[in-house]
Amino acid sequence: MSDTMTGRERLLKALKGEPTDRPSVISACQYATYELMDAVGASWPEAHRDAELMATLSGKGGAEVIGLDAIRAPYCQTIEAEALGAKIKSGGKTHIPSIAEHPYKVDDVPEFPDDFLTRGRVPVAVKAVSLMKEKYGDQVLVMGGIGGPFSIANSLIGITPFLKAMFKTPDKIQPFLEMGYQAALTFGKAYIEAGADAIVIEDMMASLDMISPKNYRQLAQPYEKKLIADLGVPVILHICGKLDKVMLDIADTGCAGISVESAVNIPAAKAAYKEKGIRLPIIGDISPSGVLLNGTPDEIKDAVHDALARGVDIISPGCAAAPSTPLANLKAMVEGAKDA
Amino acid sequence: MAKSAEELNKALADAVVDMDEDLVADLANEVVDNGYDALNAIDQGLAKGMDEAGKLFEEEEYFVPELLMCSDAVNTGIDILKPHIHMEAAGEKHKIVVGVIEGDTHDIGKNLVKVMLSSANFDVIDAGRDVPPAVFVDTAVKEGAQIIMIAALMTTTMDKIGDTINLIKERGLEGKIKVVIGGAPISPAFAKKVGADAYSINANAAVRIAREMLNC
Ligand code: B12
Ligand SMILES: [Zn+2]
Repeated sequence: MSDTMTGRERLLKALKGEPTDRPSVISACQYATYELMDAVGASWPEAHRDAELMATLSGKGGAEVIGLDAIRAPYCQTIEAEALGAKIKSGGKTHIPSIAEHPYKVDDVPEFPDDFLTRGRVPVAVKAVSLMKEKYGDQVLVMGGIGGPFSIANSLIGITPFLKAMFKTPDKIQPFLEMGYQAALTFGKAYIEAGADAIVIEDMMASLDMISPKNYRQLAQPYEKKLIADLGVPVILHICGKLDKVMLDIADTGCAGISVESAVNIPAAKAAYKEKGIRLPIIGDISPSGVLLNGTPDEIKDAVHDALARGVDIISPGCAAAPSTPLANLKAMVEGAKDA
Repeated sequence: MAKSAEELNKALADAVVDMDEDLVADLANEVVDNGYDALNAIDQGLAKGMDEAGKLFEEEEYFVPELLMCSDAVNTGIDILKPHIHMEAAGEKHKIVVGVIEGDTHDIGKNLVKVMLSSANFDVIDAGRDVPPAVFVDTAVKEGAQIIMIAALMTTTMDKIGDTINLIKERGLEGKIKVVIGGAPISPAFAKKVGADAYSINANAAVRIAREMLNC
């Protein structure tokens, strides 16, 4: 059956829980792959620092080549940290940039810079979003990606010192969480001004692989919630790994959709939501290091059907796609939704 | 009244589980002051506590920050007790090389594996992170280690594990150096595919596997 809705209409309806012509497919986290780079003629590392290339790789790549219902920029979660003073190690063509040196120590008192929006790759990502909106805005949803306050705060002092400080000197991490919140809000608002329809918050450190439910509730969730309220547009919240014990707390953030990995028990979460009268679409959970990377297109279509049967509302890789993922496999996610 | 060695060891284990670094220091000093066996205090006290913490982690009662705090407490205790270990009592420790594969800088899991192995009285040689296959093999040969434990946290780096195993074969060291692999994207199927000797799902299991491999 051929599509009767644009990707934009389909996803907006799916986020509201309204009927669609077929299941919606997005990639909540990054989806640039080597084959996609070749297909559109825009590659890493250049595409990290050039708005045109970023818009081509994410926009043309996502909307035209893969056929996603939403397109997003950027590709990595180091932009806020870089703008706040971190030294970045380039990942070259094959890897994502990473943090070589954290800008602060636990004892420092950070101050949020007024010129945040002009620093590092922040303007690149914002400009890329405006270019994508111009070109594809009537067909697909255009999303800007930011880090969650908890994750940005971690990246400012380094994860091990941060996690230890959570126990030893909890007062000292508050300013970093505040700064993470300000960076995320400022970045998100700039995307919205540039035309973004929605924001994706990636709060990968807020995972129960890293912290306890109690820490999530005290240190991560309140900032996510405040950020989502202040952004004022639909927000997709992505958190990696295990989340079963906080799925209700996540719903309470007010996000428009929650993007999860296959580590989450989705039928259980759906049942809990239903019981509480919560209508929060679950986005996921095609395994980026499993079937999406190593499977055949037919296996991926099966995985899509299986995800839908388990109650996934919107299909997406469970986390960032590995750059060596075959392009045929990303396309197979869309095919799988078409014949569902 | 002075506590017995057993009581102190038990208290040490509890203090580790409770993440109470200061109490661990006090108790370790008490062990030393009373002239009790320092090695025993590490083994029956600190290591036992860390083992318990590892179990709580497996049960999702403890999380990464808790384990980091426990391991700080263990290290504090070891620092105090170590100078008082009678050398003959210590015996020969088995060496294990631990590291994160080339291109990958995720070392939290690896560090936990290191902590658990050290607490279980293995001599751990930390090859660090972003470690090329040849460095793993060279280090194991140089140190006379029988086991290499390799972590990969990314789908983009895990293939380099296979390169390390091939190198071991090329150098005719198969069977002499065993390879245990772990990290979130690794599965038993992947371990089998690349020819690793074992897959370890977490840091605690790594200790069990090492003990089985070395019969200790
Ligand atoms: C913390 C983290 C980081 C920290 C790492 C800090 C550090 N010093 O380690 C920072 C912020 C630096 C980081 C950077 C990056 N990260 Co990262 N990170 C994570 C995160 C959130 C948690 C990993 C972790 O430490 N878990 C906790 C530990 C305890 O678990 P574990 O490592 O699995 O270890 C357990 C077991 O696996 C096992 N085990 C582990 N190692 C070993 C070893 C042996 C020998 C054995 C036997 C067992 C064993 O025992 C452990 C516990 O018992 C994961 C997502 C997630 N939730 O898993 C992403 C994740 C791993 N990162 C990812 C990415 C993409 C990156 C970056 C490229 C992103 C970027 N541009 O910022 C860079 C990469 C830098 C590089 N080249 O390596 C991806 C990988 C995707 C993929 N391709 O597979 C993940 C999955 C998240 C994502 N999708 O975005 N990251
Ligand atoms: Zn993720």
